[in-house]
Amino acid sequence: MKRPVAVVGVGQTKHAARRSELNIAGLVREAVDRALLDAGLEHKDIDAVVIGKAPDMLEGVMQPEQFLVGAVGGHLKPVVRIHTAGSVGASTALAGVTHVASGLFDRVLVIAFEKQSEGNAMWALSPNMPFMPPLVAGAGGYFAPYVRGYIARTGAPKHIGPMIAANARANAGRNEYAHLQEPMSVEDVMESPVLWDPIRYLETCPSSDGAIAMVLSSAELAKQGPRNPAWVKGGASYAEAMWIPGRDQVNPHAGRACAKHVYDQAGITDPWNQIDTAEIYVPFAWFEAMWLENLGFRPIGEGWKAVEKGEQKMGAHLPINPSGGVLCTNPIGASGMLRLGEAALQVMGRAGAHQVEGAKTALGHAYGGGAQYFSMWVVSSEL
Amino acid sequence: MTDLRNVAVVGFAQLPIVAHDAHRMAPEMLYPVVKQALAQCGVERDAIDYQTAGSADYIDGRPFGFVAALDVMGTWPPRQDSHLEMDAAFAAYYAWVRIQAGEADTAMVVGYGKVSEGQPERVFNLELDPYYLAPLGLGPITTAALQASAFMARTGASDGDLAAIAAKRRTAAARNPDAQLREAASAAALQATPWAAEPLRQGYMPPIGESAVCLILAVEGKAEKMCKQPAWIHGVDQRAELQSLGARDLTRSASAKLAAEKALAMAGLKSATEVDVAELLATNPVEELIVREALGLSTTDDAKPVINPSGGPIAGHPVMMTGLIRLGEAFRQLSGTAGAHAVPNAKRALAHAAQGHCLQQNVVYVLGSERRWS
Repeated sequence: MKRPVAVVGVGQTKHAARRSELNIAGLVREAVDRALLDAGLEHKDIDAVVIGKAPDMLEGVMQPEQFLVGAVGGHLKPVVRIHTAGSVGASTALAGVTHVASGLFDRVLVIAFEKQSEGNAMWALSPNMPFMPPLVAGAGGYFAPYVRGYIARTGAPKHIGPMIAANARANAGRNEYAHLQEPMSVEDVMESPVLWDPIRYLETCPSSDGAIAMVLSSAELAKQGPRNPAWVKGGASYAEAMWIPGRDQVNPHAGRACAKHVYDQAGITDPWNQIDTAEIYVPFAWFEAMWLENLGFRPIGEGWKAVEKGEQKMGAHLPINPSGGVLCTNPIGASGMLRLGEAALQVMGRAGAHQVEGAKTALGHAYGGGAQYFSMWVVSSEL
Repeated sequence: MTDLRNVAVVGFAQLPIVAHDAHRMAPEMLYPVVKQALAQCGVERDAIDYQTAGSADYIDGRPFGFVAALDVMGTWPPRQDSHLEMDAAFAAYYAWVRIQAGEADTAMVVGYGKVSEGQPERVFNLELDPYYLAPLGLGPITTAALQASAFMARTGASDGDLAAIAAKRRTAAARNPDAQLREAASAAALQATPWAAEPLRQGYMPPIGESAVCLILAVEGKAEKMCKQPAWIHGVDQRAELQSLGARDLTRSASAKLAAEKALAMAGLKSATEVDVAELLATNPVEELIVREALGLSTTDDAKPVINPSGGPIAGHPVMMTGLIRLGEAFRQLSGTAGAHAVPNAKRALAHAAQGHCLQQNVVYVLGSERRWS
């Protein structure tokens, strides 16, 4: 990066199945207003706006950023709309980082949202591909075979997914913005119905209405802000082709390449010991174990062992998803930016009841498509 | 201002625009232009640091349509990538910002989409505010007609003025092998066509078409090795404005005006009349007049610069890539590859692109045949 970039404001909505008291613009505005308030700034202080969301079919509005220009304060400013499938929230934030790093913009507002109650996510996430039978099975139908692949490779016992799901729910109970907060036990999860073998109902993310916004800033202006920012130490977005023989969707090449790029930028050689907490994109519980390996936290085949030992719980070696993560809150287009924003809040020491004590370095991560798009950043309390 | 890097367009490939390519899916159309653009630059895919695309799911008629493009863009091994749900001219803008940030030295920008597979007036209705505008049943032709009515009332432009502009563009397009409409047309003939929506006649409106485009950007030091005569980006800026048709003066484009002022200032020019050729994304004669006014250009065709020597969007409008084609045409003019529609001795060019109803968002590029910064 040409110059350092800081996160100086984070704002998110209360996430819920239906925010029926707000329209799309109102939902987005709730997050934008909170981010600006958090940064102690106004719209006039913002040089450019980057907006991301997942498929426009989720709300039935094509390129909705066009009608949202007023709601996000984008009138007569540069506005960019990103769409990189499930990773879009993260790649949107990173597009904002690029804008500030270029030296052309001093403060950029990044926004990601989804108002899933306006549409039907199962329909919108069941693409009808040419020459392929339509499964109409949504994302769970797509990813279940790779979860089975992971279990077959590693011999992980069947309670690993339920342990992850129960832990995520316990974490979400401490996050005032989370959608699902009711506690549940491992047994509750194991007794819930199978939706897509082996993925059970309670191992599955909800469908949420929600938005998040962040203000990104140059170092000079960040130092004038009301409090310590989070510093972006590394960030990247990678993609890989769909139809490549030998492509590994259990341990995707693009995920490893993206993590290496980001760790190299941030000077991280031992992520398990150098990173204090991570917010990673886990829409189905088993992906937590899979990404622990893909991100280099645990050796291949051993991600599930860290879960079994509880090493990823709050207060343990590497708390994963202190916010409860995607399993408890999933406004799809916003979910990636929520991971990056939560990582920033942790290193700012401002995560409230789900703060990881003493967190100095955190990873925020998202993925999308058929495990093809990866986007992540490492943030730190120190420049 | 921050120190900027000299970045140039070094390659551009485009499929001729057609109403409907019945035999190929969008990625199949994209594959040959990716190959062609890389071949123009004499490089393999590994020489490109960053890739980005502009397309819209609603044009593909399915979610994640852009994912299928990854395969034909050579996304293996994994590449640094992004996708914009915008005209690909904005993806090129983002790629330029990325190169300025030092995150890449070279970038590939593609645009694609098969609008023929849907019903454009219905699809583009869905771009409008879902609560207050879309339910009225407006589409791009009807919103353009509202804008045209307002503009003609303010300026006194006549039906005959519009016909003359459309005829001029259609006649120019006869020399452009990539244009969709390649038959010269007379103003009288176009003025005799029925209303698309009054006061815009069918003869003034572009045919909706499809194509695929690929453009390559490279930084100084690499650009010269990839292209004999690169088209250096001297200035670029993009701006959006409110969508609400009642909240803005539809007869003027405030966002195009501001983007042009900023881009010209970056380029060190006082006026857009200092360029030799301008390619404007104007999908009808009224949009062209509004953009020319916003850019500070004469609304008569006798003055510099030459406007839309390719024929412009009136002769071919492949949605999501019409804007990137304007940048590609500017490159063709400066690199000496514009063929029969070349403007002699063009040294500076302007490329404009817009998206959204009634020119809601605009990007302006100023390019030159020499490097901008030493």
